[in-house]
Amino acid sequence: MSLNTFGAILTFAIDLEARMTAYYQAAGSADRAKEADKRRAKLQRARQEYVLEITLEAIDGLDEANYVLNLSDSSPAGQQAAAAVATRFYAEVSPHINVRDAQRILEKCGKEYAALAG
Amino acid sequence: MVKRLKNYIGGEWVESSATTYTPVVNPATCELLGECPESTAADVDAAAKAAQAAFEEWRSTPMLNRAQYMYRLKTLLEDRFEDLSEMVVKENGKTRDEARGEVRRGIESVDFAASVPVIMRNDGVEDIAAGIDETTLRQPVGVFAAITPFNFPSMVPLWFLPTAITTGNTFILKPSPQTPISMELLFEIMEDLDLPEGVVNLVQGGKEASMSVMEHPLVRGVSFVGSSPVARIVYETCTKHGKRVQAQGGAKNYIAVMPDADLSASVKNIMGAAYGCAGQRCLAAAVVVAVGDMYDQLKDELVKQAKGLRVGYGLNETTQMGTVISTAARERITKMIEQGVQQGAQLALDGRGVTVNGFEGGNFVGPTIVENVGSDNILAREEVFGPVLTIMKADDFNSVVDIINKSKYGNAASIFTNNGKQAREFKYRVNAGNIGVNIGVAAPSASFPFGGQKESFFGDLHGQGIDSINFYTERKIVIERWL
Repeated sequence: MSLNTFGAILTFAIDLEARMTAYYQAAGSADRAKEADKRRAKLQRARQEYVLEITLEAIDGLDEANYVLNLSDSSPAGQQAAAAVATRFYAEVSPHINVRDAQRILEKCGKEYAALAG
Repeated sequence: MVKRLKNYIGGEWVESSATTYTPVVNPATCELLGECPESTAADVDAAAKAAQAAFEEWRSTPMLNRAQYMYRLKTLLEDRFEDLSEMVVKENGKTRDEARGEVRRGIESVDFAASVPVIMRNDGVEDIAAGIDETTLRQPVGVFAAITPFNFPSMVPLWFLPTAITTGNTFILKPSPQTPISMELLFEIMEDLDLPEGVVNLVQGGKEASMSVMEHPLVRGVSFVGSSPVARIVYETCTKHGKRVQAQGGAKNYIAVMPDADLSASVKNIMGAAYGCAGQRCLAAAVVVAVGDMYDQLKDELVKQAKGLRVGYGLNETTQMGTVISTAARERITKMIEQGVQQGAQLALDGRGVTVNGFEGGNFVGPTIVENVGSDNILAREEVFGPVLTIMKADDFNSVVDIINKSKYGNAASIFTNNGKQAREFKYRVNAGNIGVNIGVAAPSASFPFGGQKESFFGDLHGQGIDSINFYTERKIVIERWL
């Protein structure tokens, strides 16, 4: 599905973090699960607070099919691979967001995953 | 069983004395969401009496306490943010992002109202004559009312209610019968504020309720947002009955695109301005004027980007443009396009007949672009209030200013340019209340008055910002000497 609006991107990110929370919990990584849940809450707040009616613009060139997470592999390598997909997602979507505060949050999420991806 | 909406009067949900009801229909799914009572003069009278009865106690409630209600209201609205925006999508048909943006801007008005204690501070001068001091007091006026439209069912009422009550007045809201449920939800949320009974009242309904509000002797002032013909009636009726009034009407907003503008970025923003909320907003871009020799390039980019917009049901996050409000609105817009074509306009993009899979009965009109529109053409003169964008040509900057200033409306106008001198001239010379520079929707934030000139506004004091404080308060001058 196309990530063609501010809300579509933020909602996908929120959902991604919810799935990562569950994934890290199942993998026994409580700290990482907590961090993912914190990101989810932060993204939810961004979707709510930084939606700016006067600059809402269509977004093109992004599709959620490019950011499929393999959450069946909870090995360290599997966790690294999932973090790499999340890193790429945040790196690719954040330039499309034209509200700097929301963009900053997406960038920060990407940086946190980059650290996990190694 | 379909839900029949109630009124909220004197701190209680009460049945209206209506005998007729307006169906509230989701414009995308055609689902019947509820029935809105056509409240009567008796209902308005009950609300006005409840508001009047609450006034004396409320005005003497310390201002900081009144402001605290706004902080609590903000928290409650943030907690229910998604519910409020979902309801806007369901009853209005706009997209999820647009609905969120609307609720966000409504909350900004609550933020502004929380700052009323700072803004309401009075001024004075000592020794205006020997031993005599002179001061200004701002006092609340009494019962205010607002009659609000379908296109921003959540935001527009919040332009008025929070500031009206924080300044010490009591309030009656009469929302559009096409989108009344957002305000039912707001009043349900506000019940948790535990405001004194009668400070806020909700009367659902249509023309009879509106006329009763405008004519009721206890109502001291009325705010209105809607079409220009109705705004004029509201202004005339309210002034005849000795009331304060701010009546915001329709628009035909122009966007000038100068040859030096960043074309791709400008068009992206113009898309939002023209087709956001399916063109149903008083700040919508209606006419784009290409200045100089860039007409063909601009038209091609507009058509390309407009064609790419995904039309659909607003609850789907990937929808980029929703429905218009009703079947009647869709038919009216379609008819105006036909009339425009009969009068010589040509369609560069025709949005009529658009259907959306799964929502075949929905009131969709796709993005439409018309060109070769003469100055007498209906599409050049009249507000369409739908996703129809007219493209025109102008030889130079002076010509575009003339075109804009000839319009009977004066709500908003924008210029897209990288030339600061031209932007400055545009601000200086264009007769419109809200000016955008590289912004297609020149929507003032809550701390600024919402401008409007010519037939786009009837009254003196606008909604929002310092104007709203002046509208909701009476200034009293005290000249004081102690012997």
